[in-house]
Amino acid sequence: MSIYYYLSAFLFCLGLLGSIFKKDLISILLCLELMMSGVAVLFVLFSKSTGFLDSQLMVIFMMIISACEVAIGLSLIIALYRKKQTIYTDDIKIITE
Amino acid sequence: MAVDIMLTILTVVFALMVVFSKKTVVAAFSLLMTLLMIAMIYFQLGTVFISAVQVLINAGAIAILFVFVMMLINLEQFTNNREKSKWKLIVSTVTILVLLGVFALVINNNIETLSVMNLADNSMKTLFAKLFDVYYLPFEMATVLLLAAIVACIVITSHEKHEVAEELAAAKSEDKV
Repeated sequence: MSIYYYLSAFLFCLGLLGSIFKKDLISILLCLELMMSGVAVLFVLFSKSTGFLDSQLMVIFMMIISACEVAIGLSLIIALYRKKQTIYTDDIKIITE
Repeated sequence: MAVDIMLTILTVVFALMVVFSKKTVVAAFSLLMTLLMIAMIYFQLGTVFISAVQVLINAGAIAILFVFVMMLINLEQFTNNREKSKWKLIVSTVTILVLLGVFALVINNNIETLSVMNLADNSMKTLFAKLFDVYYLPFEMATVLLLAAIVACIVITSHEKHEVAEELAAAKSEDKV
């Protein structure tokens, strides 16, 4: 079981790395989802090692929140694609222009 | 233990494919496989309900939603590989490796207390008793959040229609003039 702690840390770090250096928005959202699942694994492991059921309920709430996040993020990407015809982060300079 | 190691290796391989594959569709399907492997891990840990919910919601809905959105957006854009800045990759890799080292150190120091399996009452009955007893207000708030997300998605994606209607109205008024 202890190997899963390292797995969750690895998943979180890998998602962070991807969200830093990826260029298109869909990949960044995929990497955010990876980070989320790493944290969820950690919550379940804590529930197993401490015996508190609260951590498992937190995982359920996290799934709800991540579903909302992905839905809104993808609809924002679609809206951006309609407006600018691009999904790359370095083409979007709305703030700096 | 062998199953644990096998599941971990598979999850790591698919997670690496999410980040380092060049095509975004491959990355999305790798994410689907990663989420399924994590569901297997939950099953292995004995949290059966979370495993089922993971398969249903995360793998069944969210990962498929990604693929669905990729169908709406022109896929040829994903095949051209833009030049990535090497310095950014190197610096972020070093930073993440340091972060991973710190995490591993923290886990290593506490591994004896963490790896104790606490076999408390783990049934779904106690889980839901707690959900509807202690966490009823967050549960209701979660439903409100989902409703707000639905409304937000509709508003964000139907913005184009308003613009088209306004343009048509403007054209009509110009014709009249």
